[in-house]
Amino acid sequence: MRRLTIRAIPPIFAGGILLAAVVFAAGQAGPSVRQVIDNAAATRGRAVYAQYCINCHGSNVKGGENGPDLIRSVVVLHDRLGDEIGPAMKKLASHPRDLTQEQVLDLSHFLHQRIEATSSNRNTNQPPNVLTGNVAAGQAYFNGAGKCSTCHSPTGDLAGYGTRTTPINIQQNFLFPRLARGGKQVEVTVTPATGAAVTGPLVRIDDFNVSLRGADGQTQVFRRDANVKVEVRDPLAVHHELLDQYTDTDMHNIVAYLESLK
Amino acid sequence: MKGMKIPGILIGTLLLTAVLLAQTTVDWPMVNGDYSGRHFSLLKRINSSNVNNLTQGWTWRANPGNGPVAGGGATSATIKGTPIVVNGVMYTTIPDHVWAVDARTGRELWHFSWKSKGGWHIGNRGAAVLGSTLYVETPDCNLIALNIADGKERWHTEICDLEQFYYGSVAPTIVKNHVIVGVSGDDLDIPGYVEAHDPETGKLQWRWYTYPNPNDPEAKTWPSVEAMMHGGGMTWGPSAYDPELNLYYFGTGNPQPVIAGRGREGSNLYTESIIALNPDTGKLVWYFQASPHDTHDWDAIEAPILFDGEVNGQPRKLLAQASRNGWFFVLDRTNGKNILSTEFVKTNWTKGVDAKGQPIPDPKKEPQFNGALVSPNQGGAVNWPPPSYSPDTGLFYVNATRAFSVYYLYDTDDKPEGWGGNDRGGWSESMLEAIDYKTGKIRWIHKWPATPAIRSGLLSTAGNLLFAGDNASNLIAFDPKDGSILWHAELRSNLSNTPITYELDGVQYLAVAAGDTIYTFK
Repeated sequence: MRRLTIRAIPPIFAGGILLAAVVFAAGQAGPSVRQVIDNAAATRGRAVYAQYCINCHGSNVKGGENGPDLIRSVVVLHDRLGDEIGPAMKKLASHPRDLTQEQVLDLSHFLHQRIEATSSNRNTNQPPNVLTGNVAAGQAYFNGAGKCSTCHSPTGDLAGYGTRTTPINIQQNFLFPRLARGGKQVEVTVTPATGAAVTGPLVRIDDFNVSLRGADGQTQVFRRDANVKVEVRDPLAVHHELLDQYTDTDMHNIVAYLESLK
Repeated sequence: MKGMKIPGILIGTLLLTAVLLAQTTVDWPMVNGDYSGRHFSLLKRINSSNVNNLTQGWTWRANPGNGPVAGGGATSATIKGTPIVVNGVMYTTIPDHVWAVDARTGRELWHFSWKSKGGWHIGNRGAAVLGSTLYVETPDCNLIALNIADGKERWHTEICDLEQFYYGSVAPTIVKNHVIVGVSGDDLDIPGYVEAHDPETGKLQWRWYTYPNPNDPEAKTWPSVEAMMHGGGMTWGPSAYDPELNLYYFGTGNPQPVIAGRGREGSNLYTESIIALNPDTGKLVWYFQASPHDTHDWDAIEAPILFDGEVNGQPRKLLAQASRNGWFFVLDRTNGKNILSTEFVKTNWTKGVDAKGQPIPDPKKEPQFNGALVSPNQGGAVNWPPPSYSPDTGLFYVNATRAFSVYYLYDTDDKPEGWGGNDRGGWSESMLEAIDYKTGKIRWIHKWPATPAIRSGLLSTAGNLLFAGDNASNLIAFDPKDGSILWHAELRSNLSNTPITYELDGVQYLAVAAGDTIYTFK
């Protein structure tokens, strides 16, 4: 039997089905006991929705002139496997009263599928299309106002860059570059009150201590006070300073130019 | 028996109010220290001349047990609620858990654990005590009353609908015979509200939604009643109260949908606003909107701080807020009129301020399909950790962050819902600032050497001290007048909320929560 109507199932067995489909769900907002979406049922529920509901509640389930938004519906949010929407449809005027239990169940899965998708839509599986700039303008900025060509070259470190990563990563990488393992590092020079200055990659710094990796590979820790001079050099500082300079148009043009470096 | 309890509550209320008004308390009886929200203590046994002699006292570590945590969010025992100290007992919280600890020794007196039905477990901001009862919210939308003698439950009542994805995290505030609570949650498009409960029974007294009545002029700041009534504005931050004016102050959170603003054109009142209510009726008295039509998740829930000051030679009752959007506001707290609006970190999202002193958002810096480079980022120039104001220096102290990120719009629907976008990436630098409330000028600034954003609250004292945490696990005492460092102690993790101070047996204690541990110094 592919599907069962809940009405046809003995109460105890129906309870078992209910427990199987409504489970504890950790790691998300809302109640811990959530309806587990049966995607096949949700697909069938979409057809039920299209036949009976779409004219009033809209193609996107977000309501229309004749019916409310069902993603925001308190009745739907409280529903589990049709136990709220089924009775509600029987009470409300202009609603289908003769849906089978299985149709109600399918509809429930479809509506909860929409709710779950909405509640998590701060994340996306579809990367935004950030490739909207002008290549020539990006090149001009690269060689001009941005002074990017001071450190980078389209035939050197950036040769083929557009083939190595995606446009959105290009955008993120030049705006917010991070120090690569084994590449350039933040460097610090510590000059103690007595003794020679020591320079090396910065390991840790706060107001009281600074540590660096010495030439021998060992970490050296220095207590900071007024007599200890500490100079930090961040090779990416120029990128951070540019954040105040870029317009969004500049940003989009640079992405287009860097992406064109095949 | 009931006749015996009511006078007890009233006596407790009167005593608490008297203590708060006099501000001579040796306790730390509410998460903000007192109703003003200043995070300023009159205690000065620990002061700038002897702070170097501070030594570590007792420590206490939260152990909630190994049971499963229902719902989402962090499941660690990080103490994000500022502890309170009443009559020699410290009360501290994490989601679903409350502990009473002997404030002299750190000995655990009792532990209350709540069996959760879900909700975000991102943090609990603390508890409130009135008389012999402690009040705390749970992630699964309950307000619980506990007997402070033994931690046994007296009652609980539902304050929000878990099924609509609300959750509870807010520290309740006691005002007279009202237990006032706020609510959290922005995964779906639901309205925010605050409500008051009877301290004896838990019965609902009033509820105020963070949207206007449909016939009010402010309703025209929404395109439709439906958008307005699903427009967010959660009330998850700290509050303040002026007993003389009988006004209750708090900030409201982001509008919904959070990032995708299409479908909610207008300024979206009363989201991201500073609100003054009558605490007896729940009626709105005034509002000031910190971020009209926000699309960056910049909740304006940061602590509203009350103090009396002087503006243009005239004494004024003031309210100040350093808001998540990077702007510092000073208002007349009697009527909400703006006195000062200025950036406390450089931002790039406004086109100035309007006649009311409210920032005007630049539409170009709303999230875009191909990205908009925005400062501050979603985490904000500040977030929930409280700032401090010292009446001795007249300076407002805030741990500020300057940050950039790119805001993307994902939802292409004519009626977006939920979030519909997000920000990504970022660079930031953090600094401790002292702001002159009269001018908005930064009097002094201490830039933190390491780069991640700081999430530590602040405490200033009459002992000429300002306590802060950095992002290298240090608890630091500054001279509040000039920002020079006077003392520090290295903890095992960063401060996870705000230093407090209290006095017992003639000894002043400094206490901080860092991760799952409370440290004391004396």
